[in-house]
Amino acid sequence: MIEVSNLQKAYNGITVLNIPQLTIPKGESFGLVGNNGAGKTTFFRLILDLIEATSGGVQVNGQKVARNDDWKAFTGSFLDEGFLIDFLTPREYFNFVGKLYLKSEGDITLFMESMQDFFNGEILGTKKMIRDFSKGNQKKIGIAAALLGEPKLLILDEPFTALDPSSQIRLKRFLNDLQAASQITMLISSHDLNHITEVCKRIVVLEKGDMVKDLQTNTDTLKELEAYFAV
Amino acid sequence: MLILDLIKQEWKKSIRSRGFYKNIVANLFLGIFAVYIIVVFLFLGFSLNSILEKVSTSLTPMEIVNGAMFYLILGALTIRFLLQQLNTFNLPLYQTLPIKRSTLVNFILIKPIFAPINYFTLLVIMPFAIKSVAGYYSGIIAFRFVLSFVFIIWFDSLTAAFLKRKFGSSVFAFLAIFIVFASIAALEYFKLFSFFVVSQKCFGWIILNRFGLFIPLVAVMLAFGWNKRFFYKNFYPEQFNQKLKGAKISTADFSFLNRFGIVGELISLQIKLMLRHKRTRTILLTSVIFLFYGLLFYTHHSNGDGMLFFIAVFMTGILMLMYGQWAISWDSNHFDSLMTKNIPVRSYVTANYYLMMAFNILCFVLTTPYFLFGSKIIYMHIAAFFFNSGVNVFLLLFFSTFNTKRVDLSRSSAMNYQGTTYKSFLIVLPIMFLPMLLVGILSWVASLSVALWTVSILGLTGILLRKPLITVCINQFNSRKYKLAEGFREQE
Repeated sequence: MIEVSNLQKAYNGITVLNIPQLTIPKGESFGLVGNNGAGKTTFFRLILDLIEATSGGVQVNGQKVARNDDWKAFTGSFLDEGFLIDFLTPREYFNFVGKLYLKSEGDITLFMESMQDFFNGEILGTKKMIRDFSKGNQKKIGIAAALLGEPKLLILDEPFTALDPSSQIRLKRFLNDLQAASQITMLISSHDLNHITEVCKRIVVLEKGDMVKDLQTNTDTLKELEAYFAV
Repeated sequence: MLILDLIKQEWKKSIRSRGFYKNIVANLFLGIFAVYIIVVFLFLGFSLNSILEKVSTSLTPMEIVNGAMFYLILGALTIRFLLQQLNTFNLPLYQTLPIKRSTLVNFILIKPIFAPINYFTLLVIMPFAIKSVAGYYSGIIAFRFVLSFVFIIWFDSLTAAFLKRKFGSSVFAFLAIFIVFASIAALEYFKLFSFFVVSQKCFGWIILNRFGLFIPLVAVMLAFGWNKRFFYKNFYPEQFNQKLKGAKISTADFSFLNRFGIVGELISLQIKLMLRHKRTRTILLTSVIFLFYGLLFYTHHSNGDGMLFFIAVFMTGILMLMYGQWAISWDSNHFDSLMTKNIPVRSYVTANYYLMMAFNILCFVLTTPYFLFGSKIIYMHIAAFFFNSGVNVFLLLFFSTFNTKRVDLSRSSAMNYQGTTYKSFLIVLPIMFLPMLLVGILSWVASLSVALWTVSILGLTGILLRKPLITVCINQFNSRKYKLAEGFREQE
């Protein structure tokens, strides 16, 4: 699904990301961990063509993502609040996004109903604009919108932070179900080693832009990661 | 002095904001503009005496100014009500510190009085007082005259802030003000009741009487008191911010646009954006005001053809120009969203194109009443419309990709230059002055009809070639995309 080759990103001559080679096959749940400044978000932004690689590039389904529109049709993503349109109400936002992915009104309503549990009944009833919601609820809206287009590729940057405990557990279950039911490729970054090992089958550790570990998740992975990050 | 500390911190806040130094060229442009205004005002101040002497023989110039005072106060109040930004002092930041609340409130109320823009009118009044009032009356009266103006400025500033905090700036408030104004003007015009005479008597007494100045002073204190009472009643910032937040949203349905697919969705999104943010709403309002610009120019026949065409381009394209300058920057808040969702770049650019074309048609239709000014104006407007739709729209689409600064829509109203860089000026200059020069020169060398045909044909060519021209804009957008995304991500 995703093919990364010789990918480098430098700001003012300082390399912040350097991935010589990485392949993420279709249907894999791929976790990315690393301390602040490790390059997780930079990597995601490069995949989503929001920044320009200094050298090398990313291919999705055999096509370069840079200056290309094709990957957008099957990719759902949520990195930060910039991925929301904050002057719309959640309903309007879902309608807008749904239309972009050629969903009918009925599909969109159905989708919103299926999300009611995750939203904890807090989001759809009100006429509030997205910008007036709390950070946690904004995150839920963003994650839901990323899923709305039934993506084949899902990219979430720290989806668990700012969520309340119940929502974290719901999201975890939800992502696992999704993974089991469809051949979705997921890229998820997190600071929470517990969550990431429960959701992802493969975990890559980034440090200062370099890939330092590439693990297939098993029972020892959590311990290994904890040992790695212990100070 | 706690208040002094607070003032110092506000000052640091403005000079340490990231945009301040980067934006030095934009500030330079604004500085030049300010100098221009100062010169114009001073000139007006020095010539006001001789102008007013010609207006009436029975009244002294100061008496005429006094008569107009009522209208000046009301007018200034209206303008302030519409344009003055409420002091956005970060109250919660200080609320938890051991600072007395009344100190904070006093600071919020008094700070705007130090804004130099308040005192621009004094540039007219002071020369006038020295030249005219001191001449007709005496130096001490001239001094009182100026002082009364300062009080009036304070009164206006405080009252406008109070009204705005209390009522917010809704369309209804705007209508109410308009009705009040119309009825006062009607009373004066039909000679039913003259506010002019009353105002002249009142202010004459205020300035000539030794204790007269107490009256405006009391008015200032009253206005201050209103404000304080308001803050006293609305203790928490959330209470008085509620109205400003614009809790209600216009949920107008633009579903008729859905037929046009993604492009239609994007256009309806953009219309919602414009209706739901104060800054864009102010642009709409200012555009409406500028539509009356023609009344100033078309009534004089002394203007050259180039100048007239400039006005025609300006009026038939005002919305497009205002919007198009920041065509992409309006989306800076959710740019990442638009770039990663299923929106082909072609749809995005095309949506912007159609929206600007719609603005063009709207403005052209709205300015058709000017056709009554004669056939020359008709030809001018039609040529300008073609030029706007075929040339300017593409220039805006192309050059707006250079505006990489985040535009913060949540900050309000006119005179808001946040997100303005020298590039914004560079974009508008050729768009406004090139056609003016072109028509001016051609109508001088050949004839007006040659000039108008030339710009019309240029425009029509652009309209016919819109597909390849849009492609040029798309390529430009693609090559600037990362710069835009990076710039928009940077918050001030």
